[in-house]
Amino acid sequence: MEVPGNKITIMSLFSELRRRNVLKVALLYLVAALLILWIIDRAVSGDVLPIWASQFMLLLVAIGFPVALIFAWVYEITPQGLKKGVDVDQTQSIVYKTGQKLNAAVAVLAVLGVAALIGERLLPEFELIRPEPVEEIPLRPVYDSSEAAGVPKEISSYTMANGLRIIVWPDHDIPNVVMYNFVRAGGRNEYPGITGLSHFFEHMMFNGTTSRKPGEFDRAMEAVGGANNAYTTNDLTVYQGWFPRSALKTILELEADRLQNLAIDPDVVERERGVVYSERRLRVDNDNWGRLYEQVRATAFVAHPYQFPVIGWPSDIESWTQQDLESYFKTYYAPNNSTMVFSGAVSPEEIFLLAEQYFAPIPRQLPPPPVRTIEPEQAGERRLVIEKEAQTPLLHLAFHAGRAADPETQQMQLLLNILTDGNSSRLHRLLVEEEQIALSVAGVQIQGFDPGLVYIYLTLPPGADIDAVEARVLEELRRVAVEGVTRAELGKARNIVLADFWREIATINGKASALGDFDVFTGSYENLFSLPEDVKAITSQQIQAVAAKVFQQNNMTVGVLRSPTHTPGAGK
Amino acid sequence: MNVVRAFCLAIVLFVLATGARAAGVSLPAHERLELANGAVLLLSEKHDVPMIGLEAIVRGGAVSDPEGLGGMAGLLAELLQHGAGKRNSKAFAEASAAVGGELSVSAGLEAIYVSADFMARDAELMIELVADLLQRPTLAADEFTKLRDRSINLIKAAKGSNPGELLPAYGNAFLFGKHPYGNPVAGSETSLANITQEKLQQYYEEQVGSDRLILSVVGNFNAVAMKALLTKAFGGWRPAAIPLPSLTAAAKQTGRRVLLIDKPGVTQTYFWIGNIGVSADYPKRADLDLANTVFGGRFTSMLNTEMRVKAGLTYGAGSILQQHSQPGAVVISSFTATDTTVDAIDMALKILKRLRDSGIDEDATESARNYIMGQFPPRLETAPQLATQFAMLEQYGLDVAYINDYGAALSAATADSIAAAIDEVYPSPEDVSLILIGDADLIRDDVSQYGPVTEMSIDEPRFR
Repeated sequence: MEVPGNKITIMSLFSELRRRNVLKVALLYLVAALLILWIIDRAVSGDVLPIWASQFMLLLVAIGFPVALIFAWVYEITPQGLKKGVDVDQTQSIVYKTGQKLNAAVAVLAVLGVAALIGERLLPEFELIRPEPVEEIPLRPVYDSSEAAGVPKEISSYTMANGLRIIVWPDHDIPNVVMYNFVRAGGRNEYPGITGLSHFFEHMMFNGTTSRKPGEFDRAMEAVGGANNAYTTNDLTVYQGWFPRSALKTILELEADRLQNLAIDPDVVERERGVVYSERRLRVDNDNWGRLYEQVRATAFVAHPYQFPVIGWPSDIESWTQQDLESYFKTYYAPNNSTMVFSGAVSPEEIFLLAEQYFAPIPRQLPPPPVRTIEPEQAGERRLVIEKEAQTPLLHLAFHAGRAADPETQQMQLLLNILTDGNSSRLHRLLVEEEQIALSVAGVQIQGFDPGLVYIYLTLPPGADIDAVEARVLEELRRVAVEGVTRAELGKARNIVLADFWREIATINGKASALGDFDVFTGSYENLFSLPEDVKAITSQQIQAVAAKVFQQNNMTVGVLRSPTHTPGAGK
Repeated sequence: MNVVRAFCLAIVLFVLATGARAAGVSLPAHERLELANGAVLLLSEKHDVPMIGLEAIVRGGAVSDPEGLGGMAGLLAELLQHGAGKRNSKAFAEASAAVGGELSVSAGLEAIYVSADFMARDAELMIELVADLLQRPTLAADEFTKLRDRSINLIKAAKGSNPGELLPAYGNAFLFGKHPYGNPVAGSETSLANITQEKLQQYYEEQVGSDRLILSVVGNFNAVAMKALLTKAFGGWRPAAIPLPSLTAAAKQTGRRVLLIDKPGVTQTYFWIGNIGVSADYPKRADLDLANTVFGGRFTSMLNTEMRVKAGLTYGAGSILQQHSQPGAVVISSFTATDTTVDAIDMALKILKRLRDSGIDEDATESARNYIMGQFPPRLETAPQLATQFAMLEQYGLDVAYINDYGAALSAATADSIAAAIDEVYPSPEDVSLILIGDADLIRDDVSQYGPVTEMSIDEPRFR
């Protein structure tokens, strides 16, 4: 049933609330409470006040709110002072003026609040009540255009007196930090007898120091919330740490300890050979792809150490000596042979200070001997076949190509995107979708300090005519050398590079990884940010020229893995 | 009045923000919207890079594969990307690649997943592609035959190249038996060969539709505009013809049994030891995560420390808790040289017994707590990660509190509550399935000590 008077009563209550300035008092109260709570919260985060202080204040403010409203309803300010509202002659009432004063007070407080908030964001030094380093700076890089990246100003680099180079990219999106240590030690620094030693150190670096037993490094790191990993390539050994900001000092202490005091305990070395052997069985011996890849590389390079498998030849894994390990560590794990990259909830200043504290005592060493050998130009195609039980044959093609820092390498990378990246790529469309002569095709450019390989690999269906597929791949590669690529393909490849760029730097891990790679291989991390522009400038003519140079039969190594009983045409 | 509301809201947000900071990790706010046809939309703005992440989940997946036609959902997921709307297979692939977008469709046990990651400026195009592939797939006969044959051959290729990859397929098939969780998502050579284009078309109509859809979008967009775009793109879709199949929990296994998959010439044995565990909404999740982190979830775990770091038997050992709507498997997985097969399996079973008998100590618990919390923020860092997280919560009917209260639940875990979770979830070493891929001639006699052995060749065109 409707109650006609109800609405009117509510309306008049509302106007009375307004007349008596109750609403304005409420507003003023809320604004003031917000400010007070904010100040208390700052003080709590700065450890000036205990944590319960903000909850207590919140409770106080909540209790005070109805009290203030009742007070405002009952009392009125008059020229004679505070009086009960019912006692005031309504013709003499100055509630309107009081209302204006309340409005002004709200405005002042609001301006103060906004100013404080802005101040806190713009001036990280604004730390009257918070002496600790700022934990959260809400400002983060804002990219106004997806086309022009530019070098973010917040990135800083620094080289210590002992030669250790440090790069820092602050990003306070999450309270975590990523640390990469790029050590210039990889397969290219090895020689027969010690192949796989760089990778072995990747394992030994987690196996104890003079003051920490094997396993303690990982235990200490995980106990403070950190995780780690490492990888080795033909050029580098890269150590990665992912941890909450609160673990920063522990991680740096652990890193400095192993760089300075690594224990190379003979018993631990023996046991770790077993682990590396297990890794070799997993990745090479029982993996058809890994087995063929190892042989193709060893055939494509006859002189340069890129011919060695990163994991090492089995006989070398079994026999490297204590002396080999000690001298390798001293030479290659020197601060002047490393670049460290930090990304995440840190500031460059604090990292540089901490680095001085932890890494300055590590002495500089003589630079490692240069890799002198240059792979002689290949003078004719090379082939190899591995016969092994396999229902589906593998076909790998390798071509000598440029160094990571060569402009041609970027052009080739764009071409590989066009040829093998994704379901719309040329080779995938032709060989996998249309002619269905391959199950999959992929291409990668092995880029390093020295000239590397363009590597194209295919998995073929049972009973495939392997020679015919090879001929078909070569035909398509040569077509690029003759006809170039289309405008649409070029546009697509550029967009893929651009989107991948944004994907990578969307995470603190991607940031650290990309900065380090560019700094180590091209001489400056700044080159990362010109990537979108550099790629835009690449022309179809350049791509055609690099294809003509690389995709020559005399420059090619072909590897096949197939069953001893493989018969083309069977099994279809 | 608006000013007052704005300030009240500011105070509420402020208090919420304070709370979130205290708890450690929390999800950003998101909006949930259910369309009239049952589709659920989840949206959250994120403006750090000019990118958008999209995750669409269509409930169903391999558990809804028809009898004898395992791999149906997996094959459909492949085929959805090969022509839809006005685009044929080639034009479809080119449309997303041309703008640097990534778009992939895959199947899991309980859903088909569409994941897209693209530049914000291309949102309209990419959403059109997702809408097309879900609502207007061509399912062309020639594409079907090609993909089915390729899927069969890719299983053959995996058997040759890295057999360890296939352990979960063999393991689930053996452990779950006839229960739908035993269905290999990719199917087997035999079951794939039985699928026809007509049957696939029928499956699509019955099992894919708006009432099964959860669409989650996070990134650099305006939520109002995005909502309009998605409502227009998905509001007109029809529901699936039949209701979502309901599942029951698989019975835990008692006793021990062995499946030995023979791969002559292989120089190591890959093994998988497991039983039925718990479901994704297991209430003691934080206690269980602490236990599993210590047992086999990180480098210094009991399994990896004993088997790799101390004994040098393997490159890696760990334990996995499968998360589905019904109880999934709890599994120990590793590999070792053929002649140390028994040493490694014995050691794994001994460590399992130790976990059940002695639990995990206070130091290890504290370390695991720090580890889980320390590694958590990077898992919710990017737009695609957040999109997946929101969709996953919706899929399993979990509240955002599942994430936001997780830190508190970890802190609240006690030795007793963790011990209770261990007792409930981890099997006794006497009650497990052992699945081994190895050179049977060299290990057959040795592994028969673990229980009755079923043997099959890796070349057999099936997983069970």
